[in-house]
Amino acid sequence: MNRKHLKTAVVLGSLVTLALASAATGQSTTKIWTSDVVADRQRLMKLNGASWADAQAKLKAGNAEAVAVNAETMALIATQIVALFPDGSLTDKSKAKPEIWQKWAEFESAVKNYAMQADKLRDAARSKDLAATEAVAKEFGRQACGTCHTPFRVPPPQQQPRRRRSSRNPADDRRHPMNRARAPAWRPRRPSFALC
Amino acid sequence: MEFRRVQAGIILGSLVALVVAGCATGQKSTMEPADFVAERQRLMKNVGANWADIQNKVKAGNTDAVAVNAEALSLHAQRIPGLFPEGALTDKSKAKPDIWQKWPEFQAAAKNLENRAGTLRDQAVAKDAAAVTTTVATFGRDACGTCHTPFRVPPPQQPAAPRS
Repeated sequence: MNRKHLKTAVVLGSLVTLALASAATGQSTTKIWTSDVVADRQRLMKLNGASWADAQAKLKAGNAEAVAVNAETMALIATQIVALFPDGSLTDKSKAKPEIWQKWAEFESAVKNYAMQADKLRDAARSKDLAATEAVAKEFGRQACGTCHTPFRVPPPQQQPRRRRSSRNPADDRRHPMNRARAPAWRPRRPSFALC
Repeated sequence: MEFRRVQAGIILGSLVALVVAGCATGQKSTMEPADFVAERQRLMKNVGANWADIQNKVKAGNTDAVAVNAEALSLHAQRIPGLFPEGALTDKSKAKPDIWQKWPEFQAAAKNLENRAGTLRDQAVAKDAAAVTTTVATFGRDACGTCHTPFRVPPPQQPAAPRS
């Protein structure tokens, strides 16, 4: 009987305090997202991809300076990513790998790295140095997107590792070590990276 | 005797809950007013830069390409109210205290930016160049202005007239 009361009291005290605490912090944590966290992070990452695509288009046109806004948008997006992957937020619509939660520290540092790379791209663009901006951009897919997407995202079906080529000529095999140096730079995997 | 145990239980539970809540919100509570000011100025600078990019693209006749910027505005707009907790006002900030006196209006103004940016995005996605041009023409007044006019101290070099 005593035990029961004690338990009830502990639970009751916890609940009341939690309610108070969440009320107290309510204003600073104004609700941003919807209740569908997978849709929210997919929306966020779509903007990320679209900003990257826009940056690449501008670079192609030789306009380094205009890339700064996209890079800063990506750097700001990066601050939102981790919070959108709460424990257990994996649905069949999500392409997140369970590894995210198994290697949470690595996931966090991959996101941090992404933010740093976006900062680097932004600062290069702000310096209006086309060559420097292009140099960062060239490595961006692999160094920024890839460090998180490779270990933590299921590749879309059309990008699954390709079947071996029928040709035996190593020159036709993109993955052959002799062709490594010429391998194309990392490109966004989904053609739908153009937003919306 | 029993009452005492219950009391102890409540206190224990409260402490545990406080620690849990403290951990969960730890990042937020360590933010000083100056941090909020810096963070929102960074966000609003990017809002302004995306807006400038939109204008450049429209000028160049590249109206489809504004979708990405409009979506950035729409997502950034959702973060605005959370970056203005009460008391987060320093002398570096151009925020007016009216924000906290008329909080629902401030929230509505942020929501208005989110919605109008969403409209602009949808028009760009639909490749409706005429609609994009029309929306952009009034965006400064109808989106930026509805919040900056009542809630931001105008910078000295550009009084009254809102940029558009």
